Amino acid sequence: MTKVQLKGVRKDFGAFTAISQIDLDINSGELVALLGPSGCGKTTTLRMIAGLEVPTYGHILFDDDDVSEVPVQDRQVGMVFQRYALFPHMTVEKNVMFGLKVRGTPKAEIEERLEEILDVVQLQQFRHRFPAQLSGGQMQRVAIARTLITKPSVLMMDEPLANLDTKLRGEMRRFIRELQQRLGITTIFVTHDQIEAMELADRVAVIFDGKLAQYDAPDALYQRPNSVEIADFMGANNIFAAQISASGLATAAFGTLQLDRDIVTVREGAGRILLRSEAIDLLLEEPDGENVIEGTVEGREFFGATVNYTVTCGGEIITVNEQSRRLVEVGQKVWLRIEPRHIWAIRDDA
Amino acid sequence: MTQPNTTELARHRRERMMMWLQLTPVLLVLSVLFGGALILAVMQSLGFAPWFGVNTFPDFSYFGALWGSWSFWQSLGLTLYYAIVSTVIALVMGIFLALAMVRMFPCKTLYKYLYKLPLMIPYTVGIALAVIMLGNGGMISRLSAFFGFIGDPSEFPQILKTHYGWGVIAVYVWKQTPFVTLTIYAVLLGVGRETEEAASILGASKRQIFFQVTMPQILPGIVSSTLIIFAFNIGAFEAPFILGGGFPDTLPVVAWRYFNDADYTLQLQGMATVVSIALIASIILYSYLAFYRRYERRIGRN
Repeated sequence: MTKVQLKGVRKDFGAFTAISQIDLDINSGELVALLGPSGCGKTTTLRMIAGLEVPTYGHILFDDDDVSEVPVQDRQVGMVFQRYALFPHMTVEKNVMFGLKVRGTPKAEIEERLEEILDVVQLQQFRHRFPAQLSGGQMQRVAIARTLITKPSVLMMDEPLANLDTKLRGEMRRFIRELQQRLGITTIFVTHDQIEAMELADRVAVIFDGKLAQYDAPDALYQRPNSVEIADFMGANNIFAAQISASGLATAAFGTLQLDRDIVTVREGAGRILLRSEAIDLLLEEPDGENVIEGTVEGREFFGATVNYTVTCGGEIITVNEQSRRLVEVGQKVWLRIEPRHIWAIRDDA
Repeated sequence: MTQPNTTELARHRRERMMMWLQLTPVLLVLSVLFGGALILAVMQSLGFAPWFGVNTFPDFSYFGALWGSWSFWQSLGLTLYYAIVSTVIALVMGIFLALAMVRMFPCKTLYKYLYKLPLMIPYTVGIALAVIMLGNGGMISRLSAFFGFIGDPSEFPQILKTHYGWGVIAVYVWKQTPFVTLTIYAVLLGVGRETEEAASILGASKRQIFFQVTMPQILPGIVSSTLIIFAFNIGAFEAPFILGGGFPDTLPVVAWRYFNDADYTLQLQGMATVVSIALIASIILYSYLAFYRRYERRIGRN
């Protein structure tokens, strides 16, 4: 159980600045995702925590001890690489035992821990195979076992689900989550996929251009992003310019919506409102009450379980997502209703 | 049953014809120039040379005379000594250089070009350079005398033309280190840094990483490059001829002396020498490969 802190960490590679400044607190036993587009510096951050890169400035603390100067070998961390980095010339068994062998662990203890960990990752019947004879999911489990057997204080993963097919992803996600909760090990993983980050993490650190943009729980990040950039990156599609009044009214091209002042700290001025497409009701008859927008269905995308409608309202296009229990025809006149608590507002100067 | 005759089938046949046409030049060179010459050499070493008025085929007396003399074994020892020492030195230096080349350092582009220079310079030039630099009247001896390390250039320790063969080894190493580096560097690029990084996170020291992680992965490069340079070293002629220490000579030089003798019937003795070199080289290289294959199988590569 280890608490990880980054304090004013910066990393330059020659004239190139990969990380301009990051402060990050990761609680003991927490599962944190570093999320950002490729080239944003998230992998560099992970490599600095692992000790593969040395920060140009700043400190990295494990349980309040500065480890910036501790070499990789002595840092007692674990890392699962994106392409697993298994030793191709060793069997599963030898790959898994490597970390204990090089540290001079007694043979009996190695044997015991090997059996234990092979059971955990369910690789007993593959123990004499070579990495080239394994599937992607099995290779990843070997990589995880090889790391966990050394009892690392912090576990790091680089894009843990990226190389797996859809079905395996779900399996692996449950496996990682369950393992992490059972062992209570502080885990940090890097991903460029916001779904992967939300699926797995307790908290998500969004990194843009070498800076920490937001650090929050997945639902907060999704529903209350603190910039348009983050909203966009998290997959929001209904972002509209609006004029916000002190009384919590947002006036956009399609009409005026009431905001929930307990959720949005209302400040007067120009800004953007964010309507989550799954929180909008699509009605065929005009309802009573507030926050109703009139429009026409312009397009329909059918995804099986869900369906997306694009609705034109006063010159803007609003996307509505609903369970496909019914199908509304294109060209139909509709009314959209959204509850105030589902509207998020971002000020332009934020 | 009649053969279906479609245009597609005809096209396939034409493509196969094309393939054989492309393979023919190499096959011809291998079978006629190399295979034929090898058969002829073996026959000649066994006493078949009617053009010299000698035909006692099959006659093992040439091999008998050769292998029966002590000087042959001395020559063989010398040949193997030069070949093995220079191969090992070139290999060690090549590995170090290749490992350095995959890391980042200033002026890497220039260095990547520089280290390959000896590959483009012929052996004879290298030999000439060795004479100019390392000889008793060479640059290094003169400079040493100039700076007063020794009283006179002639006092400079003999490097060339001794049976220690430092000159021969220097030329081989100078020429072959870049070759080994080039081969292993290419393999290292393919292997990547990730397994080394993974090993270091798992707590392995630099030594453990090299011997347990890097080395097994670059072994194909090590084996192929050492095979090639060792085969060259064991059969090379000009360096030991010019820079060697005289009698006993290396086997290729011995063969050359037989071929150049006024008594042309000694050419059969020369052929026996050449065939002996080929035989020894193939036994060594084959065992080396067999040993390596066994290792490959043990680590699950086929």
